[in-house]
Amino acid sequence: MENPFAEEPKPTSAWLWQVFTGVGLVILLGLHFIANHFVAKGGLRDFKEVVAYLRNPVILFLEVLFLLCVTTHALLGVRAILLDFGLSEPAERRLDQILKAVGILTVGYGLAVAWIVIR
Amino acid sequence: MWAYALNRITGIGLVVYLYLHLVVLSLLLRGQAAWDVFVTVARSPYVLALDVFLLAGILIHGLNGLRIALTGFGIGVGAQKALFVVVMVVSAVTLWVAAIKIFRI
Amino acid sequence: MNILKVPLQIFRYKPGQAPRYDTFTVEIPAAAHVIDAIDAVWAIHDQSVAFRRGCHHSSCGSCAIRINGVEKLPCITRVADVWDGHDPLRVEPLRNFPIVSDLVVDVTGLFQRMSAADMSMICEAEAFLPFTVDTFAVADLDPKLVELPENFSRFSRFEKCIECGICVSACPTMAADEKFLGPAGLAAIHQARKKTDDPVRVEHLLGLANGEHGVWRCHSAFECTEACPQAVDPAGKIMALRRELIARRFTKMMGK
Repeated sequence: MENPFAEEPKPTSAWLWQVFTGVGLVILLGLHFIANHFVAKGGLRDFKEVVAYLRNPVILFLEVLFLLCVTTHALLGVRAILLDFGLSEPAERRLDQILKAVGILTVGYGLAVAWIVIR
Repeated sequence: MWAYALNRITGIGLVVYLYLHLVVLSLLLRGQAAWDVFVTVARSPYVLALDVFLLAGILIHGLNGLRIALTGFGIGVGAQKALFVVVMVVSAVTLWVAAIKIFRI
Repeated sequence: MNILKVPLQIFRYKPGQAPRYDTFTVEIPAAAHVIDAIDAVWAIHDQSVAFRRGCHHSSCGSCAIRINGVEKLPCITRVADVWDGHDPLRVEPLRNFPIVSDLVVDVTGLFQRMSAADMSMICEAEAFLPFTVDTFAVADLDPKLVELPENFSRFSRFEKCIECGICVSACPTMAADEKFLGPAGLAAIHQARKKTDDPVRVEHLLGLANGEHGVWRCHSAFECTEACPQAVDPAGKIMALRRELIARRFTKMMGK
């Protein structure tokens, strides 16, 4: 009987990306938090302040980077938890497809909102 | 075991919060009136209390995540238990300071 | 001699019956180990209690169970150290293995994973044996060097690891993911990797560990290392494998 554990599986980078985005988030989330809740007067920005905030190109760049990092990290985390349930090969592939789609939609939505607000 | 369980629970909580937050941001698309109403609600003490919970989740998940990143690269494996204690203490202290600041707003 | 009257609450399961707990009270010397108490239950009360025991000194790994919910080897765990003196001492089979009967679990999965590393290890003492039989004066056999049989590696064992399965039982990822190589399997890969310089074999071993259900499925709970009675430190071995895999990926990226 073939030993399924003796066959070399496909290598994976998911954990590495989890770590990189995680470390990135410590910095980016820290900045996001400070900018929005400790710099902003009263801890929150009203509409006019949000518009002004996002119109700053450096801020916009950092917030988009933050969105990319957090979406990647969050969905990789969901993936890790679901993979823990030992899915079949086709189910694993389907999961990756679904999460990729959710990720793209999430980032797309964020970019769209930012775009509309800036305008 | 606690580190693993806490990281998983806070992780799930934070994913839920992420999508809630993104949905709330759509209020920006409804214009100034809608957003400013939200800001008023967000300043209420009940929401601020929830924010403290959120911050707890962020601190525990983030700092424990750094610990997992370190040990996962083979650094400090022998000290992993001690590192977890440090993570929890730093989280608690930071949370305490932040909670005071939040409720003074 | 001090005698203890210990109530032992044993998990019972026979195929076709619902699982239950039976409590038996046995008298054992105060210095006795938990395996002695289980022996006493079998000898005095109920010979249908199924359990594994072997060397009584943590060499064979056969007797691994959970005592009050914690994975331990009962042959080296004194009753006095785990019994509070009044509540029943709870004894259950390992987690994450199919239960065959009572305290006996099917450990096929453990050996399957460990044999993936196809590692043969010869204890230092054996390496010096001349492999002749003149010492043993066996009739019909001339004293001569006996050739090792082709399948000799089947009989070899891992240095520190006694293949008891405690780490597998303690691992939260093993609880859910049947495809996970697990702490024992990954520690075996690490051990095999340390024992070879052959680049092809190293590549293969690291390749086994590099998959989605290899080192990367571990969530750093460190329960395996906590529970291991032999200080194998499977978690440390998993992290060491990760470090090597990442280093190799890095050098490949740098084009070295």
